[in-house]
Order: sequence, then structure tokens, then C-alpha cells
Amino acid sequence: MQTTTSKKSAILSHSFIWVLIIFTIFPIYVVIESSFNPTGSLASSSFWPAAFSWKNYKLLFTDPAVPFTTWLGNSAIIATANAVFAVFIGATSAFAFSRMRFKGRKLGLQSLLLVQVFPSFLALAAIYVMMEKVYTVFPAIGLGSLGGLLLIYLGGAMGVNIWLLRGYIDTIPLELDEAARIDGASTFQIYWLIFFPLAAPVLAVTALLSFIGTFNEFVLASLFLTDIHHRTVAVGLQSFVGAQFGQNWGPFAAGSLIAAVPLVIIFLSLQRFIIGGLTAGATKG
Amino acid sequence: MHRLAGFTGLPAQILKIVFMALVDATLVAMFFASLQKHGGLLTVVIAVVFAALNIVYFSPRSVPLKFLLPGLILLITFVVVPVAYTIQMSAFNYRTGNEISKADALTQIMARGLQPDAANTTFDLVMGRVDGQLAGLVTNQTDHQTSIATMAGLQPVAAADLQMTNGKVSGAKGFTPLTADEAANLDPTISALKFPDGKGSFISPQGDAAVLLSESYIYDSKKNTITDTTNGEVYKDNGVGNFASVKDSTRLLEPGWKAFNYFRNYTHLFTDPAVRGPFVGVFIWTTVFAFTTVIMMFSVGLLLAIVLNQKLRFRRFYRSILILPYAIPSFMSILIWGGMFNRQFGAINALFHTNIDWFNSPWLARATILIVNLWLGFPYFYLVSSGALQAIPSELEEAAAIDGAKTSTTLRLIKLPLLLQILSPLLISSFAFNFNNFNIVYLLTGGGPTDVLHGKTAGATDILITYTYKTAFGSNEQNLGLACAISVLIFFVIGSISMWSLKRSKVLEQI
Repeated sequence: MQTTTSKKSAILSHSFIWVLIIFTIFPIYVVIESSFNPTGSLASSSFWPAAFSWKNYKLLFTDPAVPFTTWLGNSAIIATANAVFAVFIGATSAFAFSRMRFKGRKLGLQSLLLVQVFPSFLALAAIYVMMEKVYTVFPAIGLGSLGGLLLIYLGGAMGVNIWLLRGYIDTIPLELDEAARIDGASTFQIYWLIFFPLAAPVLAVTALLSFIGTFNEFVLASLFLTDIHHRTVAVGLQSFVGAQFGQNWGPFAAGSLIAAVPLVIIFLSLQRFIIGGLTAGATKG
Repeated sequence: MHRLAGFTGLPAQILKIVFMALVDATLVAMFFASLQKHGGLLTVVIAVVFAALNIVYFSPRSVPLKFLLPGLILLITFVVVPVAYTIQMSAFNYRTGNEISKADALTQIMARGLQPDAANTTFDLVMGRVDGQLAGLVTNQTDHQTSIATMAGLQPVAAADLQMTNGKVSGAKGFTPLTADEAANLDPTISALKFPDGKGSFISPQGDAAVLLSESYIYDSKKNTITDTTNGEVYKDNGVGNFASVKDSTRLLEPGWKAFNYFRNYTHLFTDPAVRGPFVGVFIWTTVFAFTTVIMMFSVGLLLAIVLNQKLRFRRFYRSILILPYAIPSFMSILIWGGMFNRQFGAINALFHTNIDWFNSPWLARATILIVNLWLGFPYFYLVSSGALQAIPSELEEAAAIDGAKTSTTLRLIKLPLLLQILSPLLISSFAFNFNNFNIVYLLTGGGPTDVLHGKTAGATDILITYTYKTAFGSNEQNLGLACAISVLIFFVIGSISMWSLKRSKVLEQI
């Protein structure tokens, strides 16, 4: 009797898992298949691909009307810059909140907690009008520029980053700071020589998550970057399938794979750290 | 200690001064550029940033501020200011037709009021320059009086000073006619010219001729009214950005201007049927969507965590595959799903040999959004649930087993309540995230199908944030004031949910 129930439950478990696996893999299979499919449709009426060609990949790198490599470059630049600056500046502020006692600290932390729940694109109309104005004075950091978009991403990332990193810094024992202080280290030296190396792994994971977040961002990027050469991969690839729905699925699928594969590999190889970061953030806030 | 020493003293000071000098030089340059181009508030912001940086980094006091300042500047400039600006804009009549200042709007209205005079006075025209400035040599076709028209007024020319070609006036003393090329290049500038005639009317070039335009509107700045002299109609400033007819307040003079309109954007949301209908529909769907999608993702994720928590063969393999949706950039996945659900060539209809028009029926489109979001979100809930499951002390399970509880009972009565307690902050923040999940709606359905709700901008799957986006940047009409009012309402909803959640988790007291 016992064995039949456990057998039954094992069958149930496996079938549940396999249903989910098929659900998970289906779109991934479709996108791989259509990236090699020269007809440019997303249909897979037969399970095995009918034709195979590199046409879609070639188009991405040779067609002058499709600056795909520029898009990739833009995304890489803006996501890297945002990851590095947001984490560095965020960690610096978080260090002050965690290690120093000053007037307004409590109020500051409480406001931070409130601010970090609002995604910055909620104020998109205001941001747009602001950056339109900035454009008339400084085109390089105004509407339509990657520089302006970076500034907005940085501002938007501050709340969450400071809040999460402060939670992490609180867990680094104070004794280290005190020992260094007795040896005559200044606050800046403690920050740079003790805190920074200790926190490096967490900072790297936060930077990676921030990188992926920026890579994925669509709303502000599509509103901001109208010039075809300033687009990010997200906006560029969307323009493939958004304009004439159904026409350009082949190149879209190929472009998606090229952009996604490195990210997926990084994610899977670092999943232990990333998931640790996820739950650490979760229990804190 | 020796390593530490390298970071103080002269080299560090020099580095700091060089760095600050570069920053200061940039800011000073930006300040003057902004001042020159009338940057307004922008100039003030640059000055404040400059002052703050120099005071904080060159005074020995306030070490915390030295660490906080860069983050603080970014946070204030790009989060706090836009939020404040959103609140301010939400109290303005700011939309297509009401975007400029009142002075600019008045100029445009008066320009539209210019009409040919009753006598239809027409002039022969020769364009040229006087002292380098564009001027017109005009000859009245009725009384044949020739004058030079400049921005300063009309200057009659004596017959002796005129140059004639084929019986027509072709030049005058002190007047240099334009060459044909010059005239062609300057055409847009020339047709926009209006030379005052000194009697309240204007001479406006129209090709080879010019006509006399007179102002049919009279603006009374004291009474704040405009009177149309052609039909005697009076338009009065309605206080919310337009001149409206005194007889019929819906008749407005175009364009209007950006004006303070108190809480009208908010009251419109609840009282104006054209706005209220779509808004209420969108609000309900936003809440239902956020709630349903979190429940779905959580249930599947939790079930998977429970199943994979047992000792199964290939557990690691299953796990690596099942977290893939979390690793793939979500905008791509959404677009791919969008293609797969396409009626004509999508993989789903092809696979099941159906011909379902997923995006054209409100309920199917909503179901599509929920399915795709489930695909995107269950791995996250699997990861956090499985973390939480492992965090539950095994003693609890053992104690229950000793008391004779079955595995399923332990799960239901002991593990699940604990799990819910651990994960509730995550569930709440996921609700808040999905409440504003722009990508899933905008990239999958675009908010459509649109024909269900009778509003101009809202579709059946639009959530508040996509509705805000369309209201602010729609192709037909853009209403930034109304969009900001909706944004402010979203702030309130998200803010109260988060505050409630934080109170529950007692995070605020731990600070």
C-alpha cells in the first residue's frame, strides 16, 4: 500500500515537472528554430525545421539598414556604465548609512525605503519634459542621448541599491573597522581598504543584476532613443517585429539569441550567488 | 599599516584637488552655457550642485556627507525632482493644444486673427534689402503709391527716386532688390514676414504681390478678453488655459496655454464619463491582473519547489532548465510569445491546428498575458520558495512525524503557514511590481484589443501604467496633465501597499 502511494506520487511529480519543462522549452525551441529558418515566420507546424540557413545571422551583421552591432554596443555600454556607477555610488552611500551615526540618518533611511518602491518610469511624463528642456541646453545629456538615459537609470537605481547594500554591510562585523581605526586608519581608508575588498563579491552580484535590469529596460529607452543609431538592443529588436508584425521574425530571433546567450551563460554559472543575493534582499525588505 | 599610509598625505590631496578641479571646471562651463541659453531651473540646479560639492569636499566637517553626496544628488535630481514635477504637472491643463505659455498663445491667436481688410487692398511687391535688413518695395494697386515696407513701418518713396522697368517699379534709391536665387532661398522667411503699416494693419508678402492684413481680434488686457470684430463675439480667459466664448463656453480660441487648473485632472478621472469609463475599467483590470498573476506564479513556483525538494533523479537537470525563463532577458521572451500567439503564423495555432485570434478578444488577450507572465515569473517563485522551504528547521518536521502526522499533513499545517509568513513581503512586492508591469502588456498586446472600452486610449488589457503612457505620449492627443494625475494615483496605491507591508514586517522599527 505504502509503495503504491509513493509510486503514484512519483509519477505525479514527474508528469508535473515534464509539463512545466515543455512549457518552458517551447518558446526557446521556437526561437532557435526560427533563427535558422530562412522564411522568417515563427510557425513550427512540423516539429523539425524544414530548412536551415545562416541568412538571418548574416543579415544582422551585413545589412546597413540594421545597425545591430551598434545596438549591442549601446546596450553593453549603458548597462556596464550603469552597473559600475550605480553599485559604486550606491555602496558609498550605503556605507555611510551603515557605519556612521549622523543627524537625519533615520529619516534618510525611512525616506529611502519609501522612494525605492517606486520605479522611476512612473514619473515618465515629468522625466520626458525635463529632459526635453535639458536637450535645448545640453544635447549630449538631454532627450535622445545615451548619456541622459544613463543619468536617469543611475538616479532610479540609487534607492534600491543603497537600501539593499546597507542591509549587506550591516552584516560585516564592526570589529574589523575598530581594529583598523586603532591602527590609525581614516574613515575613507576603512571604506576603501577594508570594506571594499570584503564586499566585492556582493557588489559584483549587485552589479550583474543591475546590468541585466538595464539590458531589459524598455519603457524609458524606447521613449528616449528615437535615433536608430542610438537604440539599445531592446528597442532595436522590438522595432523589427513591432513595425511590420510577422515580417522580420527570423532576424529578430537570431538577434535575440546572440544577445541572450551570453547573459544566460553568466546567469547559470553564477546562479548560486545570484539566488543568494535574491533571498538576502528578500528577507531584508 | 604601510599600505594604508599610501592613501593619505600629499598624493591623495593632489588627486582630490585635480579631480575636483575637473568637476568644477565642467560645472562652471555648464553653468554659463545654461545661463546663456536661458536654462532657467537647470541653471539653478547646476549652481546648487556646484556649491554642494565644493562645500562638502573642501570643508573638514561632515564626513558622512562626503560619502552620501553623489548618491544624494542623483537621487534628488532624477527621482525626487521628477516626482515633485509630476505632482505639479498633475495640477495643470497641459496637453495637445495647451502646451505653451499664455504670452506665446496670445501671439498665435492674434496671428490667426489677421485677415485681409474689407477693401482687399493688394500691392505689387519687389523684395529686397534696406541697410541689410529684408524689406519690401510695395506699390498699392489702387492708388499706385509706392512705399518701402520695413519692420519699422511704411516709408513713401518720391516718384523721382523710383527705378522703373517695363512700366513697373523695379527698384528705388537705398533699396537693393534680391536676386532670384536669394529670393528662392529665403522663401519661407519672406512669406512669414509681416510689415506693420503704422495704422494697426500689416503688409504680408504672398509671392509677387502683398496683401494688407488687419487684425480682427482685439485683446483687452485689463478685462482679459478677446473680441472678434468681424462678428462681435467676446472670448474671455476661462481661468484654465483658454479663451472661451462668453455665449458658449465650449467654443475656444486655439491654441490654449499651459495653465493651473486646480484638481480638474483628478475630478475628470471620476466625473467626466469620457475619462471615467476607461479609467475605472483599467483600474479594475490592473488590480485583478496583478493579484491573479502573483497567485498563479506563486502556486506553480511553490508546487515545483515542493516537488523538487524530494529526492528525485535528474533534480539538478530539471532545475537548470526550469530557471531558464528567469535568465533570458524578459523583453525578448515577451516578444517571442507575442509572435507565437499570432493568429496567422504563430506556433501555437500551428501546433494545435487551431485558428484562434488570441489578441482580438478581450478575454483571450487577458488570458495570454497571464500565461506569458506565468512563464516569466514562476522560476523566481520557485527559487525563493525552495530557499524558504530549506530554511524551515527540520526539527519541526521530525517532531510532527513523531506525533504521527503524515507528510502531507505536515506540509499543509506546518510548512505552508510558515512559508507564507516568510514569503509575504516578496508576494507583496511582486504585486507592486506587476501592478506596474509595463513590458508584459505593452510588448505583448500593446494594451489591445481597443474596441471594448469606448475610451480613445484604453484597451482591454491596458494597465494603469500603459494607460498613463498612452495618455501622455499617444499619437492622437497627448494629455500630460491627466497622465501625471494618474501617475500620482499610482504613487498612492503603491505607496500605501508598501507602507502597509513594511509596518507588518516591522522593518521600519529596526532602522
